[in-house]
Amino acid sequence: MNDGDLLINVENVTLRFGGVVSLRDVSLAMRRGEILAVIGPNGAGKTSLFNSITGVYQPQEGTITFASNRAPLLSVIGKKTHRIAQAGVSRTFQASRLFSALTVFENVKIGAEDHGGIGLAGSLVKGPRTRKGERASDRVAAELLNFVDLYHEANTIASQLSYGARRRLEIARALATGPEVILLDEPAAGTNPSEKLELTSLIRRVRDERGVSVLLIEHDMKLVMALAERIYVLNFGSIIAEGTPEEIRVNPAVIDAYLGTATEETSA
Amino acid sequence: MNLLTRSSLKRLLAVLLMSALVTLMTGAPGGFGVPAYTGLHGSFLERVSYFGLFATQRWFLFLTLGVIAWLLSTYYQRHSLTIRRRLEPALAAPTRVMQRRTNRWVLIAVVVVVTLVLPKFVHQQFWMYLIVEQIGVWILLALGLNVVVGFAGLLDLGFAAFYAIGAYATAWFTGVLPTPAPFNHPIPTLWCIPIGVGLAMVFGIILGIPTLRLRGDYLAIVTLGFALIIDDFVGTQSGLTGGGEGSLTVPKFAVNAGPFHYTWGISPTPYYYLCFLFVVIFLVAFTALEYSRVGRAWVAIREDEVAAESIGINPLKYKVMAFSVGAASGGFGGVLTAGLIGNINPTLFQYQVSVNVLILVIFGGMGSIWGVAIGAIIVQFVTSYLDNYQPWGYQLNDLYMYIGALLIIMMIFRPAGILPSRRRQREIRGYEEDYEGHLDEVLTGDEL
Repeated sequence: MNDGDLLINVENVTLRFGGVVSLRDVSLAMRRGEILAVIGPNGAGKTSLFNSITGVYQPQEGTITFASNRAPLLSVIGKKTHRIAQAGVSRTFQASRLFSALTVFENVKIGAEDHGGIGLAGSLVKGPRTRKGERASDRVAAELLNFVDLYHEANTIASQLSYGARRRLEIARALATGPEVILLDEPAAGTNPSEKLELTSLIRRVRDERGVSVLLIEHDMKLVMALAERIYVLNFGSIIAEGTPEEIRVNPAVIDAYLGTATEETSA
Repeated sequence: MNLLTRSSLKRLLAVLLMSALVTLMTGAPGGFGVPAYTGLHGSFLERVSYFGLFATQRWFLFLTLGVIAWLLSTYYQRHSLTIRRRLEPALAAPTRVMQRRTNRWVLIAVVVVVTLVLPKFVHQQFWMYLIVEQIGVWILLALGLNVVVGFAGLLDLGFAAFYAIGAYATAWFTGVLPTPAPFNHPIPTLWCIPIGVGLAMVFGIILGIPTLRLRGDYLAIVTLGFALIIDDFVGTQSGLTGGGEGSLTVPKFAVNAGPFHYTWGISPTPYYYLCFLFVVIFLVAFTALEYSRVGRAWVAIREDEVAAESIGINPLKYKVMAFSVGAASGGFGGVLTAGLIGNINPTLFQYQVSVNVLILVIFGGMGSIWGVAIGAIIVQFVTSYLDNYQPWGYQLNDLYMYIGALLIIMMIFRPAGILPSRRRQREIRGYEEDYEGHLDEVLTGDEL
């Protein structure tokens, strides 16, 4: 792999909560422009890995770097979540975390806004620069709502959306920050089969049309196998396999982790 | 309506016990600070008229209120569905009417005209004075706390601290404290407006940076502590602040610009207009903020801090901003009070003040600028009236009993305040649907 292609590089990361080891010596390399999936049984540490990459958790050992096109190499560990988000790592959540009292449009607009500086004077006076910023974020929000096919729901209150629509809105909000990589935490959880199909094509379009790399956690194997170009398998906090969907499908360690019987039978 | 059912009689018993308890606890008529157990004293002969009984026989007052409450609750119990259905349109009316742009402008015009001509119709100086000190200043305080509690969702139990800072900064810079003015150079009181406001904002930042990392209950405790520290400091540091006696007379506001001279004198009316001007300024500024990117960032943090961080919002920065911006109008309230009443002392800035301001914000509607202003006018007017006329056997120390009852009724029928903010109302409604209403969590803005 060419080093210039590396987007997120996780090296030997260990994350502990007291005596409980959540991630053990995890290494993961994500290339620019790929759709990468992390799979594993419940409690394997997938969301912990996401939280480490987005600065919510601070791993005790190892390094995580993010190579943005816009900024010098960013060492993630120790940085605040909002700084990492501003640098170009965006995410969605396992349980939907929308601003449920705001409209669909406002949800995306907040994501599109520039949150740097103080902004008090500009907000009070509403000078040309503020108005320009407002127009720009309005445009981004409208364009993204079109992209996720929620434009007709722009004035709906977010809490009144269907489950699948909430998922798409979350993706739109995450994209509004102008990220280079988007981390999707079980985007298809709780959706029905037709919504799953929509999401699959939406996630592919995120990469193909917007050029945003996608890192995905998912339980639904059909979705993962259809989307991912490479897959990492986590079990008990360690990476046990890495490869293309075809390789993972036949990997004995993965089958063992998911079914939990292969070694016992062979050793017995 | 059937009053003799089992549940109805149970409620009657509860009401009677409550009346007895309140009678015992609140003391004899006219007895401010009289120990308990004396509520049953007082003579039937003092006043024979019907309303006289309220004034002389406390038990009679509370029994009457209790029976009224019992009748209303029994009636409501039977007809709650019908009442709710009929009341729904009426309760939604203020918000619906205000949604139309023309209605809003007409209302604003009416309010401005009424406010401008009001001094012509209030002939008693005493009431004019009360309007400025008890209503005007408190609108400012409520507007400021609304930014902190309503917009950013931070429970601040120490807002009186910023009020005190504004007032004592004025006293300090005009050189009427025992400690000399900065650089030994007292300045005119009018110049203290930017200084008092600025100092309050700086203290908002100083207090905010370390404490706003805390969430929910912890933040409330720390802000409470801050207010107590300020209260204690101004009360005990006699050498610096004049201690319990407070400051000497702060000079009146005065403008001396070239040929133009004007002094705010004894009459409260000029203060009224000064206060009105600043209420308008803060109303406009806070409205502009609510619908700016700063306001939206506050909503995002209030609704879901984790999600807000994930889209690049720095929660600490925006929370500190909310604290500082809210402190501005509190600080101005302090400057105005100092200029108006001259002698300021620690009793004006006690812990109770913070709670009272919070009551205004909750009553008016958290996050709703107009609601908070109107709520402050209603509550402060009624309170001032009760305090000064004491009708029907009302006593000063009964106030919080009635306010407590008012807030309980509000939480049942109109949890988002009398003129709710649309966003807040949605939040509370969504919460009730999702979790069958744990309003305390909505109130503290703490979802974890």
